[in-house]
Amino acid sequence: MKDIAWLLPALPLLGFIINGLGRKALPKMVAGVIGSAAVLGSFIIGLMLFMHVHETQHGEVLNYYRWLSVGSLVIDLGLYIDQLSAWMILIITGIGFLIHVYSMGYMSHDAGHNKFFAYLNLFVFFMLVLVMGSNYPMMFIGWEGVGLCSYLLIGFWNTNTNYNNAAKKAFVMNRIGDLGFLLGMFMIYYYFGSLDYQVVFAKVAGVEINSPIIVGIALLLFVGAMGKSAQLPLYTWLPDAMAGPTPVSALIHAATMVTAGIYMIVRSNIIYTFAPSAQTVVMVVGLATSIFAAIIGLKQNDIKKVLAYSTVSQLGLMFMALGVGAYSSAMFHVTTHAFFKALLFLGSGSVIHAMGNEQDIRKMGGLWKKLPITAWTFLLGTLAICGIPPLSGFFSKDEILLNAFTANPVIWGLAVVSSLITTIYMFRLLFVTFFGKFRGTYDQEHHLHESPASMTIPLVVLCILSVFGGLLNVPEIFGGNAWAHHWFGEMLFKPALGGIEHAVSHSMELVLMGVMLVLIAIAFVVLRNKYITKGAVPEADEEMTGFTKLVGNKFMVDEIYDFFIVKPIYLFSSALYYVCELKFIDLIVNAIGDGIVGLGRLFRRLQTGNIGFYIFTMVLSIVAILVFKYFVV
Amino acid sequence: MKSIVLLSLLGVTSMFAGVFNYRKLILPIILIGIAAAIGLFVDQWGMNKSFYQMAFFDNYAIAFSCLLLSVSFLIFTLALYHYRKEGDIVTDLYALFIFALTGGLLMTSFSNLVMLFLGIEILSIPLYVLAGSRRADLASNEAALKYFLMGAFATGFLLFGIALVYGASGTFDLAGIAAYVKAGKDIPDFFYVGIVLLIVALLFKVSAAPFHFWAPDVYQGSPVLVTTFMSTVVKIAAFAAFLRLFNYCFTPLASYYEIILTAAAVATLLIGNVTALYQQSVKRMLAYSGISHAGYLLIALVVMGASATSVVFFYSAAYAAASLVAFAVLTAVMENKEGRESFETFKGLAKNNPILALCMSVAMLSLAGIPPLAGFFGKYFLFATAIKDGYLWLVLVAIFNSLISLYYYLRVIINMYSSADDEVPAFTPNYALVLMLLLSLGANLALGFYPDLLMGLLG
Repeated sequence: MKDIAWLLPALPLLGFIINGLGRKALPKMVAGVIGSAAVLGSFIIGLMLFMHVHETQHGEVLNYYRWLSVGSLVIDLGLYIDQLSAWMILIITGIGFLIHVYSMGYMSHDAGHNKFFAYLNLFVFFMLVLVMGSNYPMMFIGWEGVGLCSYLLIGFWNTNTNYNNAAKKAFVMNRIGDLGFLLGMFMIYYYFGSLDYQVVFAKVAGVEINSPIIVGIALLLFVGAMGKSAQLPLYTWLPDAMAGPTPVSALIHAATMVTAGIYMIVRSNIIYTFAPSAQTVVMVVGLATSIFAAIIGLKQNDIKKVLAYSTVSQLGLMFMALGVGAYSSAMFHVTTHAFFKALLFLGSGSVIHAMGNEQDIRKMGGLWKKLPITAWTFLLGTLAICGIPPLSGFFSKDEILLNAFTANPVIWGLAVVSSLITTIYMFRLLFVTFFGKFRGTYDQEHHLHESPASMTIPLVVLCILSVFGGLLNVPEIFGGNAWAHHWFGEMLFKPALGGIEHAVSHSMELVLMGVMLVLIAIAFVVLRNKYITKGAVPEADEEMTGFTKLVGNKFMVDEIYDFFIVKPIYLFSSALYYVCELKFIDLIVNAIGDGIVGLGRLFRRLQTGNIGFYIFTMVLSIVAILVFKYFVV
Repeated sequence: MKSIVLLSLLGVTSMFAGVFNYRKLILPIILIGIAAAIGLFVDQWGMNKSFYQMAFFDNYAIAFSCLLLSVSFLIFTLALYHYRKEGDIVTDLYALFIFALTGGLLMTSFSNLVMLFLGIEILSIPLYVLAGSRRADLASNEAALKYFLMGAFATGFLLFGIALVYGASGTFDLAGIAAYVKAGKDIPDFFYVGIVLLIVALLFKVSAAPFHFWAPDVYQGSPVLVTTFMSTVVKIAAFAAFLRLFNYCFTPLASYYEIILTAAAVATLLIGNVTALYQQSVKRMLAYSGISHAGYLLIALVVMGASATSVVFFYSAAYAAASLVAFAVLTAVMENKEGRESFETFKGLAKNNPILALCMSVAMLSLAGIPPLAGFFGKYFLFATAIKDGYLWLVLVAIFNSLISLYYYLRVIINMYSSADDEVPAFTPNYALVLMLLLSLGANLALGFYPDLLMGLLG
């Protein structure tokens, strides 16, 4: 296993190097094939590793190189292959490959096509480092690396200032989270003397539950997760990140990178198990984010923005699951979400492609007949995310809700509200976009076409995964064996598992499902009536009033941050610049420089060129030394 | 000893090259001869051979001799470039270089004060001639005359110092003097005066303040190849002699002369660096830079001890590797710009010849002490040793001076990477220049990445 595991991240890195160096020389077709093949190769190796873990049933640390050994700090460039990383590898490379293929079609007209593939490969490389590293510093390297790639790809069309600002915003917001991650690592090292997973986790098992140290570590790591996985209050970068090309939104900002925070907490599950109060914080933040983002999603009219808020909301749901200790349920939802959210984003990309870069759903409508494959797959994706049985979303969401109910019925109630809102905005999106009359321009109508095969094939594959993905974890109530649940159970800290499984009777479980499904059905009927039968179109921005307007403006969160945080910082910064820097520091620095140069001028005058003077100083110096030695000292 | 004989023969061979008309062959012969001399020295490693109590070839002598020979090898490679045109071939000058080098070897291996004196004179007299070797150039003549007059003064002090030391101890032999000092009975005052005069003479040779006045004028006036030789081979030889003499004989009296060396080190650092700021000529700037590096090395002399020898050796090697590149690039630029040498002449070099500019940048950064280049580790080892021995304040002064030096080193780089005011003709690449740059640059990087190559050599 050690012989081939390193190839997994190495292949995309190689792809990055080839495409990066040859971005001017390589034909587009070649660059696309190289980029995709690199990820496909990783996927195949990933499958081999997965089968290996499946057979051996335990994780394995592979150390390749001792990177640092300073005092007691030892950092190995090592990989850790266990149930969790093998699973994540398959998601990253599997969906990554499909999105690479899709990009070959989507970006075919773009001048930066080869650069785009280079960046995508670099992203896959860093993401693999993130999930495969055998210690926190490795995770951090990947963490920062994917942040960099995210920045590069959000601002990919860098001639647009707004896009660049979105990229900067993503970077800065993530840095805030990263600071938490870093501090968390420092604390881990300070108290446990190592950053290696095996060592740290072994030592955590010895601490007192809810001791301030472990809670502190858990909360600081969670701050990192908040940034990367777009949770309150650091979520604002993710909707703006939709400025990047759509495949990027699908791969990075929906399916993989944003789940890094979930991965981190599942990886550190033992830390959270020993810090129940931190778990409660995770649960509350996740739930709040889920509802808050869902509400904003209700009134968005940009097709990608709706999906972006939906992503934030779904991530919130996953954090809520982590907060109640349902790690395997969260991972299962990460998986199904990766399937259907990637599908929905790629579908929206197909729509945008067909509409000539129009993203406002109010100017679409009636696309069903023109884009049949896109429409069908989008429909199935929507059903999956809404949790209609037997699609994948139903199983994963149901498991989260069930765990929430076990923890506390109130949590369940709020989670149901969040899911219901999700259903509402998703059906609204579907109906307004694909049904009713076409509302675009004449040119757009005649330009409408189904996307090429390189784009529709990934859609179909993802659609199949979205539909049947639930089979990975069919609960006992439907005669399944909850395979994924047991799979992750192997790598979780054992006491974290207990208690949840049979806390709710099967009849209660059915009742809960029933409630959810009835609510979804009602929402479906109402929305169908409004948008299809009556043909309503969401109001224009000027027409919005009151609460609707507030929601449409995303609760003014950006403006609030701007007013309360960004502006004061700028003010403080300019105060420092105009007062401290210009009035004091510059003066001192310049005075030192001028002084030394003045001294140089003085010394230069001594160098007269007159040899008599030279010899005179020489003799004088000798006399001075002798006088000093015999009469002074 | 065989190497010294070989070199003397090589000098004579070179002298007759003009007469018997094998000028074209002479440079290759010299290069092979120097390489052979290095080989002969390496062969002697660890044998500690003594010759009639006059010369003693311990590892210290062999290491410094090999360093001097290697630097000379590179300088002759540069000569291959500099004097490549027909009629340029000046075999008698080569002979003088080789004789001076022979003197330098004696300065690293003497075990008798007479040999020290002979070594210094054999080194110096050819240099007086070499400094004035551009006969039509007034500046070159002036340099030669100044160097000779001041050098004669210094020689006077050196002899007087030796005489006083002999008068007190009754011997020229280093071991004898060391035993005399160690015994420490009734050392007369004039013995101490002798030490002071020896220090003065050697400070003059290493161009340390306040005996540095000759250096800028002579460096600037001399032909560039001679300047290269003076600021590398001569300086290293003088330091090797300085360290050998004092380490061997006078360490028990360190408390007496320490203050003189410390004052000289601080003054040298300050004058060298601060005056370099104000220069318009790169050649003159390099002269001052050479003075300031003598200041750093003097710190090592103050600190002394066994650790100082390896530090001085490493620092000299690092300094030589960087200086050689700097002078080689300067030679090439001056040749291309009709002998001008101001900072402005370096403008546009990066565009015109990026390789040359890159080499120069690396050299400048190494001289300034930027990691991971050799110059950084030279300074690092030096400062670390000094701090360990309790000279923190001296290190702070040195670091302050390093900061100042950044200004004039970076000024070269900035000029190279800004665009030229006028069009300049393209450089013609030359294999000798490329080889020389490659070797010096390789040495610089090798010492930067594997400082242990030389650090462990002298224990």
